[in-house]
Amino acid sequence: MIRITVALLIPVLACGQDLLKRGADLYNKTCANGYCHSPGGTSGSTAPRLAARGFDADYISRVVRQGIPGTPMAGFGTVLPRADLTAIVVYVASLNGIAPSRNPAPREEPEKKLPPEAAQGRELFFDSVRGFGRCATCHQADGQGIPIASAIAKIPTTVAELRQLQTPSVRTATVAGESFPVTVVSQASKQTKVYDLTSPPPVLRTFVPSAITVKDGSQWRHESVLSAYSDADLQSILVFLRAVSKS
Amino acid sequence: MRTLSCLAFALAALAQDGATRADWTYHGGTQLAWRYSALDQVNRSNVAKLAPVWAFQTGDYEMGLQSTPIVIDGRLYLSTSRSQVYALDAATGKLIWQFKYPLPRGTVPYGPQNRGIAVGGGHVFLGTYDDYLIAIDQKTGEEAWKVNLDDVKQCGCTITGAPLVVKDKVIVGGAGGDSAHRGYLTAVNMKTGRVAWRFYTIPAPGEKGHETWKGDSWKYGGGATWMTGSFDPALNLVYWGVGNAAADLDASPRFSGEGEGANLYTASVIALDADTGKLKWYHQEIPKDVWDYDSSYECVLVDREVRGKMRKLLVHINKSGYAFVVDRVTGEYLNGYPIVDNHNWNTGLTEDGKFIGRVEPVAGKQTLICPSALGGKSWNEVAYSPRTGFMYTPSAELCNNLTVVPQEAKEGQSFTSGNWIFRLAPNATYGSHLDAYDPVTGKREWSYPYKYLLLASLLATGGDLIFTGDPEGFFFALDARTGAKLWSFQTGSGHRGSAVTYSVNGRQFIATPTGWGSIASSALPALWPEADAFRGGSTLIVFALPQEGAR
Repeated sequence: MIRITVALLIPVLACGQDLLKRGADLYNKTCANGYCHSPGGTSGSTAPRLAARGFDADYISRVVRQGIPGTPMAGFGTVLPRADLTAIVVYVASLNGIAPSRNPAPREEPEKKLPPEAAQGRELFFDSVRGFGRCATCHQADGQGIPIASAIAKIPTTVAELRQLQTPSVRTATVAGESFPVTVVSQASKQTKVYDLTSPPPVLRTFVPSAITVKDGSQWRHESVLSAYSDADLQSILVFLRAVSKS
Repeated sequence: MRTLSCLAFALAALAQDGATRADWTYHGGTQLAWRYSALDQVNRSNVAKLAPVWAFQTGDYEMGLQSTPIVIDGRLYLSTSRSQVYALDAATGKLIWQFKYPLPRGTVPYGPQNRGIAVGGGHVFLGTYDDYLIAIDQKTGEEAWKVNLDDVKQCGCTITGAPLVVKDKVIVGGAGGDSAHRGYLTAVNMKTGRVAWRFYTIPAPGEKGHETWKGDSWKYGGGATWMTGSFDPALNLVYWGVGNAAADLDASPRFSGEGEGANLYTASVIALDADTGKLKWYHQEIPKDVWDYDSSYECVLVDREVRGKMRKLLVHINKSGYAFVVDRVTGEYLNGYPIVDNHNWNTGLTEDGKFIGRVEPVAGKQTLICPSALGGKSWNEVAYSPRTGFMYTPSAELCNNLTVVPQEAKEGQSFTSGNWIFRLAPNATYGSHLDAYDPVTGKREWSYPYKYLLLASLLATGGDLIFTGDPEGFFFALDARTGAKLWSFQTGSGHRGSAVTYSVNGRQFIATPTGWGSIASSALPALWPEADAFRGGSTLIVFALPQEGAR
């Protein structure tokens, strides 16, 4: 009986030790970094000490994955592969006196991965290099981006259709003799809020109703804000939008 | 004394006016960033009588109160670390309006920190922790416009610095230089909120300077603009400090070795045309920085004689513990000098501004480097008095053990390629000092040593006083000519903000933010265990001389 237990334990412990070592390496690269934590979870840098804090594994797991809102502690749940997250949690838990689990790491659900063209489209949609010319300046997709335009409900079937998109919600505002394209956010008795679309990024502007008139129709065209992209880029972006609308 | 009078006369003759009077209009007092007021009702002879007249508690204690108030026409405007703004009666502290910005629901890169607002064209301008620039109606506190300048969830960046009003525009930078992020400076039309220009601190492919970057490293190369710049109206130039390149400690993946300089325009001061945002000149202070010596601090614009000739100067300090003097018309380097006693990262600075004998951190091994990544001076700002001709500088005598741990860039994620552990300087008997310098030659005229770090900005006045506060909660005044302490008051929480002075109906007030907090302050307890007891807070405390006849 004893022999059997030992035989069973050895591979499990080895698994825990491997995980611990991997966790330490990942911690040193990802967490013990500049303005963040110190190597070994000690104090000495600017983020709090992590060793001997009495943290339990659930707390560590939650903070590593979700971060702490309102503070510099970022959540790594969508940044690191799940196996890496587990390893880091095991390592930080060990700094708090929690031995690597005798149970193998919990079985992780398979990670969602976009097909290559959709992934390329995603990159283009959020591409910082394109500055304010990127789609995400006005649109949200896949939970990211600045949602100035209403949610993308109907995805154009072709690039040509995307270029010639009808935008009836874009209207023409006139303020102190200057006319410019807007979408109306709200019109109440005391204030009118519009997005000024003159040039990206849009500006949310607030007026007293008497200072602004808004008329239907506009010279503004969706095509005018697509100059940062080629047709091939836009094609990939459509593939991305379709992929995330299905999931 | 006679020398000083002559100097004062000579300086007055120049008619360069960087002094504030009744109002404190800009982040640095005026656009020249002197943090100097000509007000002299409170002076060396009567400062001992200075007493608190009102206090305002913001209720927003996160990361301390790091702000500079703005005062215009008897109204004081104050922002807090989580982007709340208050308009107060500057004489009484009565709340006039409050701009409530939603509190952060997600992570804020580097934590929420705000060092001030700007006021102009009937608006109060706020850069938020989540990268919006907002114009608030100066009279009513209502939002006039709001524009998103980046996606906080993606960029690893946040706005910490006060915007600067320049003619019809408001200019604002951003923090994020230790993340995989590409820095920029953005100018926005004050009236409409429309972006007028954006200057990327890292040139794109095809632009001059791009050749100094290896491969794709330019996309995530840092170069943040997280403090506030200056403006010379006569030259129409905006000056701004640009932080070091990312990854901070490891230059090998980013340094191409081509072109002049390294990883342009990081670790530099840049001069831009105010109307177009076009680069006029740059001065790279530390090419191929591998210590996080961030050049994003304030640019002090003074006209002074250099080797017998009057020059329009820009004096700038970065975290390396050195001050740099350049001609602000051309960017020509004129002088550099250390402002800390511990600076072991080099063995000397040549006459043309090159550091020799550089000691660089390496992978897998700790290297003790002074000053630390917190800076030989933190961001808390210097003051310049035209009466004494001195520049007043806070310093930090810390070192750090640097270890390079190579990283791959992931947009918006921390990208320092290494870590630092702060250490007291070997044999140090003090953590910092406040000094008076000849800003051109670097001659230290006097020094006020202090046990911990002095992390609040300095204020110089026409009463020949220097005001600042310390982490223990004391707000105090030094004699601007000798450094002698003339007055102090315990405010109840440590100082990490910037005091200002102004007058209402002929009465001079001195207002100081109090409220311990910030990244640098969190490093103290590991160095001085008793600093763990330094309490946070977020209060503006305002002082004046007792009024005659008043009890």
